[in-house]
Amino acid sequence: MTTVMSKPVSAPGKSIIEKLNFFTALALGAISAIVVWRLALQFLPEDTEVRLFTREDKITLLSMTAWLVGFMTGIGALVGPFRWLMGKDLSHEENMFLAGKDMGIKRYFRYTTDHKVIGIQYLVIIMVIFGIGGILAMLIRTNLGSSEGGWIHPQAYNSIVGTHGIIMIVGTIIMVTGPFGNFIMPIMIGARDMAFPRLNALSFWLIVAAAVPLLWGQFLGGISTGWTAYNPLASQAPLGMDGYIMFICIFAISTMVAGANITTTVVRMRAKGMTWNRTPIFVYGVVASVALGLPAFPVFFLSQIMSAMDRALDTSFYNTAGGGSGWLYENLFWIMGHPEVYVILIPAIAALMEMAPVFTRRPLFSFNVAVMGIAGISGLSVLVWAHHMYLSGWAPLLNTPFMLTTELISIPTGMLFLVLVGTLWRGRLWMTMPTMSIFALLWNFMIGGITGIYLSDVPADAFLHGSMYVTAHFHYTLIGAGLTGALAALVYWFPAMTGRMFDKKLSWVAFWIVQIGFNIAFIGMFTVGLAGQPRRVEAYASTFNTGNMITTGGAYLIMSGMLVLLYGVISSWKSGVKAPKNPWQAKTLEWTVGYPVPLENFEVLPTVTSDPYGYGKAQS
Amino acid sequence: MTDVMTPKAPQWWKKPDVKKTAILWVVCTAVIGYVGAEFHVRNMVSPASETMSGVISLMRVFTWAAAPVAGLVAAMCLTVLTSKRHYGDNPPAEADHQVSNSPRATALWIVVSALLCLFALVGGFIVIQKDSSSLFDKSALQVNVTGQQWLWNFDYENGARSEDLYLPVNKPVVFHITSVDVKHSFWVVQMGIKMDANPGYTTEAAVTPNKIGVFDVRCTELCGLLHAYMQTKVHVVSQADYDAWLSIHVQIEKGA
Repeated sequence: MTTVMSKPVSAPGKSIIEKLNFFTALALGAISAIVVWRLALQFLPEDTEVRLFTREDKITLLSMTAWLVGFMTGIGALVGPFRWLMGKDLSHEENMFLAGKDMGIKRYFRYTTDHKVIGIQYLVIIMVIFGIGGILAMLIRTNLGSSEGGWIHPQAYNSIVGTHGIIMIVGTIIMVTGPFGNFIMPIMIGARDMAFPRLNALSFWLIVAAAVPLLWGQFLGGISTGWTAYNPLASQAPLGMDGYIMFICIFAISTMVAGANITTTVVRMRAKGMTWNRTPIFVYGVVASVALGLPAFPVFFLSQIMSAMDRALDTSFYNTAGGGSGWLYENLFWIMGHPEVYVILIPAIAALMEMAPVFTRRPLFSFNVAVMGIAGISGLSVLVWAHHMYLSGWAPLLNTPFMLTTELISIPTGMLFLVLVGTLWRGRLWMTMPTMSIFALLWNFMIGGITGIYLSDVPADAFLHGSMYVTAHFHYTLIGAGLTGALAALVYWFPAMTGRMFDKKLSWVAFWIVQIGFNIAFIGMFTVGLAGQPRRVEAYASTFNTGNMITTGGAYLIMSGMLVLLYGVISSWKSGVKAPKNPWQAKTLEWTVGYPVPLENFEVLPTVTSDPYGYGKAQS
Repeated sequence: MTDVMTPKAPQWWKKPDVKKTAILWVVCTAVIGYVGAEFHVRNMVSPASETMSGVISLMRVFTWAAAPVAGLVAAMCLTVLTSKRHYGDNPPAEADHQVSNSPRATALWIVVSALLCLFALVGGFIVIQKDSSSLFDKSALQVNVTGQQWLWNFDYENGARSEDLYLPVNKPVVFHITSVDVKHSFWVVQMGIKMDANPGYTTEAAVTPNKIGVFDVRCTELCGLLHAYMQTKVHVVSQADYDAWLSIHVQIEKGA
């Protein structure tokens, strides 16, 4: 067509697509932010009202928005839509270039659309996020290790707590669906790529773009409100709060885009013969997770837009004096906040359910119950948000119904336990780090789940709410269950993603140090919570000394285990044992393509004739 | 192995792994129930109200109710872990069966978990009902609680105001809680009650202290810089001491 003719060899320079990369994005983002900042400083009218910060808030939010637009333009996110508007869609060569054909390492720094590249990009950014969040956690624990009053200034301490919370939440949200949902899942369902490859690249680069406002906010007073950023505390917080708001808005867009993309891919692009009964359970986990994000994150986005308007434009959505209510914020926040914990948890458990038959050499126990459990949790999770608000005074009469929905979740959650235990039962146990992670998950999630039942009970919550007990509880679910599953997934799919085996000894060492450290840390935290230590405090009564010392000790153990794991990732990636084609002898499609996985995965699309769990010998 | 080959396999409850699991189940349930309940009860503060005693016994009951389920999972895991394990880089032989479902086990599991859930719900509902009716006790002492960054103020019916809370023992009290700036949360630790203090709204909480002594009030909602230090004491005293304290305090207020 015309595009082919209009690309003569003599054309001077490369096309715009080829010029754009991460560094042009950084440059354009920075320039846009500075220009808009100068312009706003020049032209925005001075404040006349008594309210502090309003002008500064406007300037900050405008420059952060400019950063976002500049960065996304610089990375090349707008080239496709713009060309489409002009009636000249991308040519085949250009699409191949975007997919990263024959580009080596450079494709990881571009707006590359290949799902495998994006999977690796996610894996790396998650390690960075956990690195930063982990350092912040160690600062918190070190500060709390000594008795009354730490060495960190309260303002800085509050900001560390808030930043640790929000980036770890974001990190755990993307820790399974990001790397494995992108790299593995499309191959697992026998697709050549995602349904919308460019949107896939968009959702990844939005996360990179979102990191900058959060970092920026650290220099503007930090996020001193905790990760929940309740109003009216957030409206009196320093300018760093705008960094939080911008971070959440961009991340919410990324999650919505990824959710639409992954859901479409799974619904429309499964291989021939892959009926819903033959679709691997991990795929269900990923879809449930991102599909839950679809109702949850728009609400989060909206709550932060309203927060920004309260700060910058003197609206009063959350300001009681102006007719608003802090309870509105709490409702919006937790309508996102409770589905969000299952966004984290479900894919991690589903990944372990995927591995369980492989490492026990028997079929998955009760696939249908697994699907029903995932669906049941997803459905109920959007109806339980106000259990975070039992004691807010918002609507005491609603405590009873919300207690009902919350405790009902224990039924589908129990189904997931049944599937895992049932699969382990009478299998041939192949001892690997992922196998042991199943046991670790059962242990941790049992503790996280049962403590969750106490917390869901209104009278018990009247004692436990807002104490360290709650902090320990949700770390048991998100780290003890969620991260355990994610780390197992890393070891399990490492050969498929890097062509090398994860060092066996290191995976075991890291596993035991992390699990032991984790249980020491958070059982210690349960004790101080029961004894009456509130959350998010930088000093505490001397009666809590022992428990806090134990927790801090455990935290250092977790850190050492995670460092061993990091060393394992780097050394195995660089010089690990070359992996055979299907090292675990698994029956899902991602093991049929070999390594390196060719662009577009399959030369001939596979046809599926049975479910992927046909392990074991048929009984005669 | 041989079980499979014989035309008539032994009944399921006679299989060795089932027997082992059954014994372990009893042991695990006892251990988990006892350790779990004691862990909670011993770490919790000693109660200074009926409400708090209720919370403690609720934790004990819930732990024992959850113990059989946790015990079963633990027993099955232990049975699996102590059976033959395969180490090595290549997979072990395939399992000798292809069981991918068991309608009986599934149905039993779901029914039992539903019953336990119902038990927890009913238990909770009864306590809620009792707690919320005490909010409307007309004879109760009324105290206004006001949170502000970063201290608590208590206003009594006759106009006295204090930063330490004073209460008479064995007399129901209703707190009317609000805030003048951001959200706080009013937690009387040893009495097991908590309620958020919201700017512009008043919320209620009720309790009857039943022990003379000094107890803790802590803020449990992050409220800015000095949140950790937003604490005060509750002095629960006899009715006579309370009246004496109140009359002196009223005079101080009027004098000032």
